[in-house]
Amino acid sequence: MPSLRHPFQCLRYVARESAGQSDLLIATAGAKVYSYSASTGDCLDVFPSADESIVSDDLNSPPGKRRKLSSPSEQKDEQSESAGKQSKEDVKLTWSSIPLLIVAQGKYVIFLTAEDKCIRVYSLKDNGQFVKESVRTMPKRPSVLALTPNENDILCADKFGDVYIIPVIPSAEYKRVVAEEKEYAPSATNLTVHTKRNLESLEQQMRQAALKKKASAEATALNFEHQAIIGHVSMLTDMVSVTRPADSTISHPRNYILTADRDEHIRVSRGHPQAHVIEQYCFGHTSFISKLCIPSWAPNVLISGGGDKHLLVWNWVEGQVLQKVPLSESETDITVSGIWAVSDNADGLKSIFVAFEGSSQLLCYALENDNTLKQQETLQLSGNVIDLVSIGSKDTIAVSVDNLREPNSTSVWRSSPQALLETFRVEAGKWVPAEDSIVSSINTDSSTLVHTELDEKTTKSLNEQLYGLSVLRKNGWN
Amino acid sequence: MAEQVPTKRQKREEYRRGIQAQQDSTEDGSVVKMPQKKFFRQRAHANPFSDHNLDYPISPAHMDWSSHYPAYVDPDTSKTNLSGARQLTKNVEVVDIGCGFGGLLVGLAPLLPDTLMVGMEIRTQVLEYLTSRIHALRAQQQNLKNKSANPAPTEASTESTTEAETGSDSKAPATDDDIGTTKIFPGNFENIAAIRSNTMKFLPNFFGRHQLSKIFICFPDPHFKARKHKARIISESLNAEYAYALRPGGLLYTITDVEEYHHWVLRHFLRQPEDATKGKGEGETGSDYKAEAVHAPGIKDMWERVSDADLAADPCVRVMQFETEESKKVTRNNGKKFVAVFRRLADPEWPSS
Repeated sequence: MPSLRHPFQCLRYVARESAGQSDLLIATAGAKVYSYSASTGDCLDVFPSADESIVSDDLNSPPGKRRKLSSPSEQKDEQSESAGKQSKEDVKLTWSSIPLLIVAQGKYVIFLTAEDKCIRVYSLKDNGQFVKESVRTMPKRPSVLALTPNENDILCADKFGDVYIIPVIPSAEYKRVVAEEKEYAPSATNLTVHTKRNLESLEQQMRQAALKKKASAEATALNFEHQAIIGHVSMLTDMVSVTRPADSTISHPRNYILTADRDEHIRVSRGHPQAHVIEQYCFGHTSFISKLCIPSWAPNVLISGGGDKHLLVWNWVEGQVLQKVPLSESETDITVSGIWAVSDNADGLKSIFVAFEGSSQLLCYALENDNTLKQQETLQLSGNVIDLVSIGSKDTIAVSVDNLREPNSTSVWRSSPQALLETFRVEAGKWVPAEDSIVSSINTDSSTLVHTELDEKTTKSLNEQLYGLSVLRKNGWN
Repeated sequence: MAEQVPTKRQKREEYRRGIQAQQDSTEDGSVVKMPQKKFFRQRAHANPFSDHNLDYPISPAHMDWSSHYPAYVDPDTSKTNLSGARQLTKNVEVVDIGCGFGGLLVGLAPLLPDTLMVGMEIRTQVLEYLTSRIHALRAQQQNLKNKSANPAPTEASTESTTEAETGSDSKAPATDDDIGTTKIFPGNFENIAAIRSNTMKFLPNFFGRHQLSKIFICFPDPHFKARKHKARIISESLNAEYAYALRPGGLLYTITDVEEYHHWVLRHFLRQPEDATKGKGEGETGSDYKAEAVHAPGIKDMWERVSDADLAADPCVRVMQFETEESKKVTRNNGKKFVAVFRRLADPEWPSS
């Protein structure tokens, strides 16, 4: 029976300076992370490693069965165990997708395994292989990972609206401050509750407390170094960390963190450790926000999109809309699933790419000198656009496309699989499809397989993994 | 019981239609009845994480305040904001978060007659009551002004009717509802308004940076269970939003009858709460520490507690302690009240490295 491959959910390009190290393309697909050599296209390593994945693939079907989340006490044990034992632990894969991936300092791969809420940090060896550094279970499932400007700390935003800062490499001497067990006393008293039922339940609580003086020390606190620095009372959907360079108005560069939520807010906070100071809000969206993008070459410009039928281009320092860019004329709802800024070194072309959820079109804009977007020719791909990465050394972009589903559909599966990656390069000021030997080698590599006999449950969960943004839309009550 | 529910609801709806009709026709200065609370009761809890069906402006510059403060609308009709609404001659400066039946606003209105104040409440029925109450108060003031201008005692029945009606709100002394019936108050209650909102989500949609001078949080929902602590209106991350909306030097007032919550408030505003150790074992459970993540301490440098001497001199504190509906209830039940007021300090300097 023919086997399908998972599409690449996240792509990152790692440029490595020192000699003897080839550049890498790191990609996640399904429950795995791959390290490809950017010079040969060879697959250098897979997480979790190959012998484990044979076992885990068997376990993976049906993946509808999910292990209960490990409690932090187990987690502690897992961390203290030896590496050999660790691999055993990994065999029972507790996740089915890896939706977030970032690379720090050109040598640390940081990714989120979805269902078990673990942020995993692996370092990259010279030969492109992964070496485990740490596994940390977050209290809520993270929705965005970012880095502080010095790339020493991870910023982690979650669906409950909190942003945590955790070091990329946890310091060894961290000791959790354990609050001493205090005698239980309910915070309500008969002075604060009055109804019969409330008084009864208060009595009940007192009795319970007397019965089991010491409830099991249920430690739900995080057992690694962390700080909560920002909080929204809404689901966080994207976050960028940016440094505003010194100019005529400010004498020193300033760090900021921009957070976007489901309730149409874009909040501009100062960088850590002053993240509690909110400098600005960027108001203007009328539906949820899903993506923020600050081009590295224009740090004062923000491009945002989400459930609205337009993008907004901002002077985010002032909270001012510079431009409203219409995206669609039609009635059907669209959801921006990606905004990427790519600057082309050779031609000086500064492009902004925009993708919609479940669409095979890739919109292309040029960011003009007056910080407005000018529409360019739209790129058509063979499948839905999922992620995009700029390969700086070759002035090309690689786009991961959904090889499993029909183009422009989030649920209808193809009969025959397609290529995973497509490449484009600039010719005469335009992005045109390009052949790339490395990408074709990755395309023909056969490492991740999805079984073709997919039951309804599996396909549904696979669909949700890739196309989960449109559920953020609020249902009108009328 | 089964048929009692619809009749109660019917009564309420009928009553509220009557109040509505009165509002639509009060301009002529006829008898103005105050609304009665018993027809507007609503369960005391609302889920702050739910979407509800809220109306909120896209930004503070889109907010239409003109219908809430008709006496303060700028006479220059060409001055409009981003949504095309008429502008006011001054900005709203005081917010009562979770204003409930509006006792605080009504008490503060004559104390700060030239300051625009707004109450924010998430429960629709309670808000409806307060809107009617403010409307009735304004109309009464208008009547009184008319009366004093041409003293013909034709409206003598106003006060007696109102008092008879409010007397039926059995437990409460009749004073809270008929305030304003007998004399003219400074400001004429034109400076207070109430809107429905979920401030935990949408406070910055209404107020710009440093716009407010005072925020009141009176008898907030205590959310006793540790699992529900995230729904509390005081937290480090919300305190950062309050600091955004308050100007440096502005005050945030809190009052609660739950001692544990009082310590929670102190803990979330101050690095070293001076009386956090006091009363331990009474209210401190310790369990809430366990569930919490460690929060960056910086936010606590944005606040300082206002001294008791300063509080004694602040008339707003007295209103908060004795004139809100909840504080009267606590007094009736011989409960304790815990007041803490915090001053918002200036933003820290940007790091210069």
